[in-house]
Order: sequence, then C-alpha cells, then structure tokens
Amino acid sequence: MGKETSSISSGRAELLPVLKRELSKNGCLSKEVMSGVAEQTGLPLNEVYGVSTFYTYLPVSKTGKNVIRVCGSVPCDLKDAQAVIGSIQKELGIAPGQATADGKFSFELASCIGACDQAPAMMINDQLYGNLTPERIVEILKSY
Amino acid sequence: MAEKRIVLSNCGDIDPGNIETYLARGGFKAFQQARDNMKPKAIVDEVKKSGLTGRGGAGFNCGLKWELALNARAKKKYLICNADEGEVGAFKDKYILSHDPFGLIEGMCIAGLAIGAQRAYIYLRAEYHSLYDPLCRAIDQAREKGFLKQMDIHVFEGAGAYICGEESALMDSIEGKRGEARYKPPYPPTRGLWDMPTIINNVETLMNVPHIIANGAAWFSAMGTVRSKGTKVFSVSGDVKKPGVYELEMGSSLKELVADLAGADDIKAVQIGGSTGNILPASLLDTPLSHETYLGSGAVMVFNTARDIIDIVRNNMHFLSEESCGKCTPCREGTEVMMEILGRLRRLEGAQGDINALEDLAETMAVASLCGLGQAAAVPVLDSLKYFRDEYINRIDQSLFLRSYLGGKMSKSKEGIR
Amino acid sequence: MDNVNINIDGRKIKAREGATIMEVAEANEIKIPTLCHIKGQLPTGACRICVVEVAGSRTLVGSCHTPVSGGMVIYTNSPKVVAARRVIVELMLTAHTGDCVNDTNAEDCVLHNLASDYEVGAPRFNVKAPRYYPAEDSNPYVRRDLSKCILCRKCIRACSDIAGKNILSIAYRGFRSKVVMGFDEPLDSEECRDCGVCIEYCPTRALSAPVKV
Repeated sequence: MGKETSSISSGRAELLPVLKRELSKNGCLSKEVMSGVAEQTGLPLNEVYGVSTFYTYLPVSKTGKNVIRVCGSVPCDLKDAQAVIGSIQKELGIAPGQATADGKFSFELASCIGACDQAPAMMINDQLYGNLTPERIVEILKSY
Repeated sequence: MAEKRIVLSNCGDIDPGNIETYLARGGFKAFQQARDNMKPKAIVDEVKKSGLTGRGGAGFNCGLKWELALNARAKKKYLICNADEGEVGAFKDKYILSHDPFGLIEGMCIAGLAIGAQRAYIYLRAEYHSLYDPLCRAIDQAREKGFLKQMDIHVFEGAGAYICGEESALMDSIEGKRGEARYKPPYPPTRGLWDMPTIINNVETLMNVPHIIANGAAWFSAMGTVRSKGTKVFSVSGDVKKPGVYELEMGSSLKELVADLAGADDIKAVQIGGSTGNILPASLLDTPLSHETYLGSGAVMVFNTARDIIDIVRNNMHFLSEESCGKCTPCREGTEVMMEILGRLRRLEGAQGDINALEDLAETMAVASLCGLGQAAAVPVLDSLKYFRDEYINRIDQSLFLRSYLGGKMSKSKEGIR
Repeated sequence: MDNVNINIDGRKIKAREGATIMEVAEANEIKIPTLCHIKGQLPTGACRICVVEVAGSRTLVGSCHTPVSGGMVIYTNSPKVVAARRVIVELMLTAHTGDCVNDTNAEDCVLHNLASDYEVGAPRFNVKAPRYYPAEDSNPYVRRDLSKCILCRKCIRACSDIAGKNILSIAYRGFRSKVVMGFDEPLDSEECRDCGVCIEYCPTRALSAPVKV
C-alpha cells in the first residue's frame, strides 16, 4: 500500500495483539474502544478501522457473549452443515448473522476451521465441537 | 504400501506437554549436532542435498531458499513457521502441533542456525487458539533447556483470514497491517519481514529437518520421486470411512491414500490440495501424488457418486471470494463474478454464455492476479469443465428449458424460480 | 548506469538493472496503460492493467513493480496481454455502478477512456450485490460517489504521501473493500478541508469537486 508515512510508529507492530486485548476486555471494538487503540498505537483511527475490519475475528459490531461459528466449507457441507445451521436456528431462533435478544449467543458462518475429519463442526468461542448431530447441538447449547 | 510415519513418528508416543518424553526418544540430538559440529553453510547444504521441498503447497526447494537468506547481509534475520493452515480440507498441521510441538521447535532451531536468524515466529491461526498455551509451554520448556539461546521463538496469533497463509500477506499481518499480498520481487529471503531477510516454512517442512540432519540427506532423498523427496502428510476428508491424517512416501498413488487407507469405496472425484486444488475423476485414481503430478498442501477431499460437482465448485469459489484480500482487480472482482455464474447454475438459472464467461475469466485470473489465491482460484472450475463438462451443459440446458417453460406462466418477477 | 540489455516489443534496449519495466518503457517512449500507479511513488500493484508478458514467465507481470534483469524479453501488447487487459477493464466496469451516461464529465474518466481504447463494451458479467453507495455531498471540499470507485487506492496514497494527512484507509476485505474515513463515516469537514489533492488523483468520478450552487 505504498510507503507508510511519518506514522511509522512502533505501535504498528503491536496493533493486532492490542486489538485482541481490547476486544476481549470490552466485548466489542466500538468507535470509543478503537479510538483508544488509535491513541495507544499512534495510528490514525481510519488505519485501525481498516486493519480491524479486514480480520474475521476482530468484529467492529457487537457480538453475543458466546459466538457460534458453523463451518460451511466443502468437507462440512458434505456432512450436512445445513442441518447444523437448521438445528441452531430451531433452538435459538436466530439465523447466521444474527444474535439472540438476550445477547447470549450470536451466530455466524465460518470458513474451514480445520476439523474436516470431524465434520460437521462448529466453534463456540475457542471451543471446537465436531461430529455434530441435532441432539448433540441441543446439549451443547444448553451447557452455555 | 502402508503409511511411512517419519514426520508423525512421535505423534501419540510422546507427551506433547513434557519435553523429557521427546528428549528420551533422541529429541534435540540433531539440533545439538548442528549447533556444535556444523557450520551454517553445511546445514544448508545438507538440506539442499536432501531435496526437501516446501510442504505447505508451493513446493519450493527448502535448502535453496535458506541459502538465499544465509547469504543475505542484514542486521536482523527472521524465521517464520507458517501455522496458518486455513486451506479447506487441511488439518495435518493441527495434528502435528497437538501431538509433537517439540519436533517443530527443534526443526525451527536448526533452521535458525542455518540462516542466522535471531528471532522466530510461529504464525498460528486464530481458530487454533486452543493450541496457543500448549505451544507456548512447549517453547518455554525448550528455552529452559537452553535450546533457544541463538534464536528465540514467539507465537503470533492470526485473526481470521485465510489469505494470511500466503507468505507475503502473513508478513504484512505480523507487521500489524491488513493481510494483503505483496508483489514479488523482492522475495522474503532477500527482503521480507520489516524488509529483513526472512524464511517462511510450513510446519511439516520444518518437522522434516531434524530427521534429515540426524539420518543424512542421502537417506531422505532415497525416498520419493525425482523431484519430490521424502514423505508427505495428507489430511483426508469427505466421503471416506476413515477421515484423518496419513503420511505416505512421495509418489504413492491416490488410490492407496483414499481407498486403501481412508476407506473410500464410492468415488466420483477427488480434490487434491484444497479450495484451489485440482479435481480428478475416479478414472485417474492410480495417479501418483507428488509435486510433478498433484499435491498442493496435501488436503484431499473425496466426493462420492451422489455429489453435485457444480455445487462443490461453487462452495470453494464462495470460500475464495470471502477470503480474497481484495487488493487486485482480477481476484477481487473475478471471484465475485464466478460466484454469480456458479450460483445461477446451481439454481437452474444458467445461460448460454456461462461456460465461455467462466473460461475467459479463469484465464485472466490465472495470468494477471497478484498472488496465488487469484491465480489458482479457477483451477477447480477448469478441471470440472474438463472432466465433468456434461454436467455444466446439462445444467444450462435445464435452465433454458425451465426459463422458456415457465416464461409463459411467470410474470417479470423471478420469485418463483428462486 | 544502463548496464543490462533487454528487449521490449522487439526493440533492443539498454536499461539500468533493477529499474522497473515501466520506468524503462517510459524512458524509451513505450506507453503502457496504468490506473493505480502514481509516478514517483512506490508501486501498488492493485489494478493489474499494466501487466506485460515476459518470456519464460508463466504469469503476466505488473510492469509498475517488476524490475528488469539482463536478457529479459518483454511484450507490452501481445495478444495474451491485450486479452487480459480487456477482461480486467470489463471487470472494473462490472463493479463500477452508478450513472455515467448522463454525467457530462464522463470523458474525464480514465476507466471509460481505457474501455474505449481497448474496445470494451458493456460488460457481460454480473455480480450478485454490486458495490452501490449513495453519493456523499456533506463535505464542501470533496464529493464522494463510491459507486464509481474501482479501489485503485490512489486517493489514499495522495492523502497520506502527497497531502500528508493520512485520513483515508482501505477497510473490510475482498469484494466489500471500501475507502473509508474514521470509523467509516462521511468525510469530516474538520479533518478533510482546504485540500482536494485526492480529486486530482482519482481516475474515475468517484471523487470530484462539489458543484457550487
């Protein structure tokens, strides 16, 4: 993207770790939180926003307390990821891209999460769940 | 032929949380041999002679890459282990990291000696966050043993972007930027991370290094084919009875892997490499797996005779369009246009010009994209057109029939077809 | 010092090793079309319009960023190059939504001129959800019509490297990429004022001077 301007700050190298810390502290990378990151790293807000919005795991909009990510890539799709999506929709009443009214869960479709031998699979926060069945999904969701 | 577990030789037999179990099996002896008895150039030469090639998909000669970095004059040099493993159908590196982190650390330490790196990173994808603490603990144990004096290792976690598995985007990510591809030259061994000489190797590539130093280049190059030496770790998924990780000598046949080992008994096609991998019909099952033929990252997906090839191609293109960094025109716009065409084909809204449009686009993307993602995005499209062209033609015929049949009964709105 | 011998379109040329193909071509009055390149600045390599054919290379290479080396044989207008450029222009036209036909300033648009040069008509491609944005008229210095943006990034580099303000960045990823200010807000008149450098560099009509009423 061309030469970095005088804002070659040492903060640039820290940007991703700082964004992750602030996200886990605040639950959301709102404009306020991001402005704080911009100050901390010495980068303009637009740069911080531009970097954050590139990455799937640095969302700028509010997510649920628990983020469900169902893999939709080929190996999981072959093993009926659609049924997993349907089960979650039935249990929680939300479609991918939505969050429950009480903010407990939000729901997204994910690109391959590397659990193809346990397809269909999903992650809830950092926890992986594979070999999913409608019954297992109900159990898993209830445990949160 | 059975599996040949060299990279995976410790997996399941050591405690990944306890370095003593690794040392008890001769672990870090190769590193000590390299550190105490070999000059950097000798280490590089041994790896060059072995013929070890990149195991992440690109397949470049590892020793040659190291040599460029060794010969580069710079204040700092970096080694990066690419543990971003975002490729569709790939889970071999996760398996290796979970079961034998010490093998990786030893391989990295030897690589560090060879190129003269002072600092190393393991770029771990965010989705593998559960491996972050165990990996750090393994590194701590190696540090306590004094193995990281010349080059310390840090784990850098990704943030959810498949393109960060591409080496230039990976470096931009570590630098705190968007993970966008860079034009080359300059190549990383000359000017990479923060413009310093950098070597980026896949997890599996580095896992081979201690074995090559311990057993010698000749031992390694005795295995495999003319241009693909040693073994390859494959991750097999899809319509197979025993999905999982398998390690085979290079040049082993596809049939051995998917039918004999993974237990597939109803095969229409196999995709080798990942989302941009070649699609081979069942008639080509006897093909050997190597850089010379088909290999990629070693992600192998099997499709049975009930599967819709167009839908599979569409799903992979969806993945690629989601994950494209968006910097260059052919990939950013091309993947999206291909999605529109493949989406319509899937919904029986195909049109006569669709195959031509796919082929024209595929050619442009292959020759004009900035990086490998765009360049290879259309490979599955072209392969499926080559081996399953009838399915496309039938789909278009059905679409045209449906349109003309319903045209008389439908208003301008296309709600009914959707 | 011109110390290597290369060949461009059949012409033997002496060039400085390490100079880019584009620099050498320009010095020898060979014209290669560009969109995202700012002369004198580091190349971006985003638009891919300037790709050329190099003997022995599997892919075409961006002439703005590829250095020449001894013995290089380059074709700037081979059928392979022309075919690629035409599809790239076609792809840009596909994404380039919004009303150009009635815009009296459309002849200023570099993209439309390129389409004319390469005889690219209406694109045959479609996308499911084009990048459509309502025009932004809130800032008195710059009018933004991002439906016409082809994501060449010249405005970003003009703002940071030439105007020295660093107000603009690329956000999101892939097809949904967008040039943004702040937290993806309309151009703030406090930060973006008394300038207009970006307008000079925008090759389309995505950025223009507001029409004074």
